[in-house]
Order: sequence, then C-alpha cells, then structure tokens
Amino acid sequence: MRRFLDRHWYAYAMVLPVVVVIAVLVLFPLAQGVFFTFTNINEGNIANPILDRPATYVSVGLDNYLNILSGDASYGAFWGTLVRTLIWTFGCVFFHYTIGLGLALLLNREVRGRAVYRVLLILPWAVPAFISAFAWKYMFNAQYGIINQVLRFFGLPDPVWLGQSDWALVAVMIVNTWLGVPFMMVALLGGLQSIPGDLYEAAEVDGATAWQRFRNVTLPGLRSVSSTVVLLGIIWTFNMFAIIYLITGPNPNTRILVTYAFERFFSGASRDFAVASTYGVLILSVLLVFAGVYRRALRKQGEVW
Amino acid sequence: MRRTTLVTAAAAVSALVLTACGGGDGGSASGDSGEITFWDTSGPNESPVFTTIAQECATKGGYKVKTETVAFDQALNNYRTAAQGGQGPDVFRAEVAWVSQLAKLGYVVDLTGTELASDTSDFLETPLGSTKFDGKPYGVPQVTDSLALFYNKKLLADAGVEPPKTWDDVKAAAAKLGGEKTIFINNDAYYALPFIYGEGGDLVDADAKKIVVNSAENVKALETAKGLLDAKAASTALDPANSYNNMQAAFTSGEVAMVVNGPWSVADYLKGAAFTDAANLGIAPVPGATAGKGSAPVGGHDYVIRQGTKAKDSSVKFIACMSSTESQARIAKELGLLPTRKSAYDNADVKANAVVSAFEPVVTSAHPRAWIPEGGQLFDPLKIAYADVLAGKKDAKAALDDVAKAYKDTVVTEYTVG
Repeated sequence: MRRFLDRHWYAYAMVLPVVVVIAVLVLFPLAQGVFFTFTNINEGNIANPILDRPATYVSVGLDNYLNILSGDASYGAFWGTLVRTLIWTFGCVFFHYTIGLGLALLLNREVRGRAVYRVLLILPWAVPAFISAFAWKYMFNAQYGIINQVLRFFGLPDPVWLGQSDWALVAVMIVNTWLGVPFMMVALLGGLQSIPGDLYEAAEVDGATAWQRFRNVTLPGLRSVSSTVVLLGIIWTFNMFAIIYLITGPNPNTRILVTYAFERFFSGASRDFAVASTYGVLILSVLLVFAGVYRRALRKQGEVW
Repeated sequence: MRRTTLVTAAAAVSALVLTACGGGDGGSASGDSGEITFWDTSGPNESPVFTTIAQECATKGGYKVKTETVAFDQALNNYRTAAQGGQGPDVFRAEVAWVSQLAKLGYVVDLTGTELASDTSDFLETPLGSTKFDGKPYGVPQVTDSLALFYNKKLLADAGVEPPKTWDDVKAAAAKLGGEKTIFINNDAYYALPFIYGEGGDLVDADAKKIVVNSAENVKALETAKGLLDAKAASTALDPANSYNNMQAAFTSGEVAMVVNGPWSVADYLKGAAFTDAANLGIAPVPGATAGKGSAPVGGHDYVIRQGTKAKDSSVKFIACMSSTESQARIAKELGLLPTRKSAYDNADVKANAVVSAFEPVVTSAHPRAWIPEGGQLFDPLKIAYADVLAGKKDAKAALDDVAKAYKDTVVTEYTVG
C-alpha cells in the first residue's frame, strides 16, 4: 500500500479535487434526494437555521413510492403521466430527427444563398426559449391567435389549442419541434460533411439509385452522430420543462414527469419535497434503464459508446 | 513530505468547497440597516402610485425604500423560496390568503408589541381577520376588494336590459344582447367563487374541519356556469393560459357586455375603446342564484415583514405610514382601490370616487373566506376542475369529487370529506 501510494501519489493528488467536487456537487445531493424519498419532508417541517427551526420530518418508509406508483390522481397519475412523457419524448425526437435530417440534406447541396438559409434555419435556436414560448402562447390563443385566424380564414376548424384537451400536448410538441430542429440539423450537417465524397462517386459508378445511396452510404456514415444526438435529444426532451410550463402552465393534459415534480416542489398545493424527490428518483431510474437498453442496442451494431 | 502534499491538497479543496457553500448569512437582526426592500405585486397600473407614496414615507421617516415590482402570480413562490434562504424583501405585499400560510411556515414577523398591532380598531373586520394566525397579528391590511359585475352601460341600455340580479336574468338578457356576447366567464378558480357562494356553497368548513367542495350546492353552482355557456348566453376562453387577457380584451373592446372582475381591473378598462367615456362603465353586485343573494369572495392584500429582516424597525415605520388613513385615502382616490380603514371612507375624495362607492356595498356583503394556512392552496385543484367543467370534459360532480380528493390527499390532510 505504502509503495503503491509512493509511486502514484501524483496521480491521486491530481484526481482528488475532481473526486471531491463530484462528491460534493453530485453524489451528496443525489444521496440526499434518495434519502428524502423515504421521509415526509416538506416546507413546513424542514430545518431552517435562519428561522431557528429544527427539522421535524419523519421516515415514512416506502409510502411515497407506493402512493405514486399506485397511479393515484392526487400524486400526479404516474402511469398516465409516464405514457404522456413517452409520447412527448419520442414524438418530439422523431420530428426533430426527420426534419433535421431533411434540412441537413438540403443544405449539404450546392444551393445559391446557402449561407442565408443556414442562418435562417438556426434562428429558432438562437432565440431564448422563454421568448419563443411566450410568442407561441400568443399565436396559439384560441380566439385572437394568428394560427386560428389563419385556420378560420381557410374555413378549417380552429381548435382550442391550449385548453383542457390533447390539443394542448400537440401544441407544445409543435413548439418543441420548432425549437429542437436546428440543433439536429447542424449536428447532422456536420456528420454529412464528414462522409467522403468518393463513396458517393463509387456508389454512382456501381449504378446505385439515389435511395440506395441514401440508405447504404449516408445513413451508415451518419450512424455515430445520429446515435449521439438522438440519445441527447431523448434525455433533453424527457426533461424539457420550460416549454411545457411556460406555454400551458399546470395543465394536466400536458403534464409530464418533470413538470409534475416541479409543481410538487415549487408551486401549487403543497411544496412536498418528498414526493418531488421521489419523482426525481423515478425519472432518473427510467432514464438509466433507457440508456442501458440503448447502449446495448448500439453495441450489438458495433458502436463503441 | 509526499503524504503532506496530499493532505494539503485535500484540505485546500475542502476549504474551498466549504467557503463556497457557506455563503448564506445568519440574519440575526442586531440594529437596523435603515434600508427597506419592498416587494410590490400590484402590477403596472397601480405600482407607480404605491412607489411614489413609498418614497414619500421614506423621506418623512428617515429611511430608504427600494420598491421592486414582482409579478403577482410568481410572488408567493418567489417569496417562499427567498425567505427560506434568509433572502428576499423586508416588506412584502401579500394576498390575504397567503398571510396565515406564511405565518405558519415562519416566514413573517409576529407583530405583537409593535405599534402596528397596538390599535387596530379602525380597520374593517374582515380584512383584519386575514392578518391573524393563532390569534396573533402578522400583517396590516393594505387594500380590500371583492368581485363585482362590470357592465357596458351603453350596450345594456341599447338592448333595453337592466343589470342582471340573477344568473337566470343573464340568460334572459342574452336574447337581447346577442347571445354569447352577453357575459365573459373567466375559467379560473377565483372566478368560480361567486357561483359557489351564490348557491350557498363553500370550499371547506374550517370550524368543522370538513371538505365541502363537492357539495350539492357547488355541483349546482358549476352547472349554472356551464349552463350559461350551453345556453349560448356567455362566452369563455377555453384555454386557461389566455383566459384573463381574453376577458379583458373582449370587454374593453366592447365585444362583450358584462364581466365579473375586481376593482384592480378598472384602470385596464378605462384604457379600452369601449370606455373612453368613464361614465359608460357600470358596476353592480355579482348576480346570484336568487336576487340579492349574489356573493363574491373577500380579497385584498396585506403588508407583512419578512422573518430575518435586518430593518425591522424601519419596516414597522414604513408599514404604519403606508397604511395610514392619509395614504389609504390617496390610494383610493388615485386608483379606486378600497381602503381597509373605516376612517378613510369619511374622506371627501374617497366618497367622490365612483369605483370605491360602487364597491363599498359589494365589500360589506362579500363572503369571508376561511383564513387557514392552506387557504391559498385550495385554488390549484379547483382551477383545473373548473376549466374541465366549462370545457365540457367532465361533469361537475365528478370534477368536484376529484378536487375533494386532492384536498384530502395534499392540502388539508387532517380534514374529513363531508
């Protein structure tokens, strides 16, 4: 042991700050969060040195998990919310990816004014998310919004976009897609430009059709970029709080797991830190399971990740 | 020697971390900083007047005041988060339902023994009730308010309709006023209360510790509201996110003839095209199930001092000045907000203010709310239920049963469902 330390002390000393910072900033809060899920901690019984008040919360065992996993509406109707979260996540990422790929393919060609198009298409990403959210909220206004005015002008039905129905989820998905496409586009454009041109020439010489070139050259060439951005996209969208909350507020029809955790933690009825932490742990678990499955699937295809 | 390097590095890092985390201050109030931060939640129409009066109070009292305007719907949340960490304003304008909650959580100063609590006999009884928790005073009433029926006098006169006294009158008037253009119903929880109180219902019975939100009266109340929409005698914005703004837009443009709202909205209305002549704005008590039984909730705001403030003495002086008869009369005169002091109503300017005189009977007959710590939290579940009912997504009974369950599970857990 002694000799081991003597030989490697330099490496340990270099790594130590990172380990300590990670422990303090990541592991300790995580452990604390997990601990809270077994208590009834809330704003009323948490310790507060400024107010000279000791902590009075007690352990409640697995009650928080049982309450939530029972799917009870008073605890956020977990299973329904989970399904909505999955619809929201995969719907958004699907449109992000397909539209982003389409635009990337267009921009990868020699088009006149390509630079201008690139700037215009990246614009949604450059606008702060909350400004986009409020702008879209005005546009979705059922009575005065421009979207419904246009629909009415063409004699189409004008739904109540942000009301008590699933249209609200459609509306926030439209906004999130609009916001997320630029990132996918830029990332995939980068991927496209790294595919060597001679591969396409060789394929053309072999008589491959445009579709065959896309399937057999472009898609495999993009695989490593795609797998990364899709995973990132899924994790971001799964935890996308701002758009939903700023546009629809606490509307049960757009509630996903993170917005409900926020409602319980910060706003609404009870500032119930215990239930909010339990939601946090459940969200983390879902994402861990997903990442594990995803990684295994990629490894089968020969990706190192 | 090598070992020491390791230990020193570890010590250095942990010291760094500890200092970074130990940023909060103890907030022990020794002495008075003489600088007050005042969180004003009154919005762009009213805030300039409050700010002016605050500055004058500061000059007179020999302390400094910084007024920060905070969005009303974020204010409670921001205050709680800040106060928990020993930060935040010294004086806060809290909605009446918030005070007992903040008192219970220990975020506001008990005013017992200060000059603010020494003589409160001049204050109106119901607003004063909102400042008490466990029998102790925690706030000073700033303004009081209630909901009333605002109407467009010209539209009603042209149609030959009197201001309605019952919801059936509203339905009857719809034929002459153009159906859906008769009244705009805001699908927010607070605006469901006139329907509920008008039927004799309530949300909770605080004395009996019972949840009564799903009573037969309340079911009937929400059905009345929905019935107005079904009968095409009312319109609503079905999206809750835009509801309030659409109501204001529809009424100020003269598109709808009536709305139910509070005195704070008058400034908005008088800016609108339909009310360039202020005399066109009529104010009447909210309609009821039967004539004269209309009843709206008591609202308003109180001044509170944050627990942990470094300027308690100045804050007390500041609130005393802001809530003096003189200041209240001025606020009433300039903004049409209702004073909480009886003596302010004797002021000639206040008597001459059309909004104040129209609202005075409304406030006297208004329905008191349960001043319980959870009072402010009763609205979130009701808001969703009310919006669902008006959208036709749930029937009133099922929606209110869900609200009762949510109250039992998350808001007033020790109450029984009655």
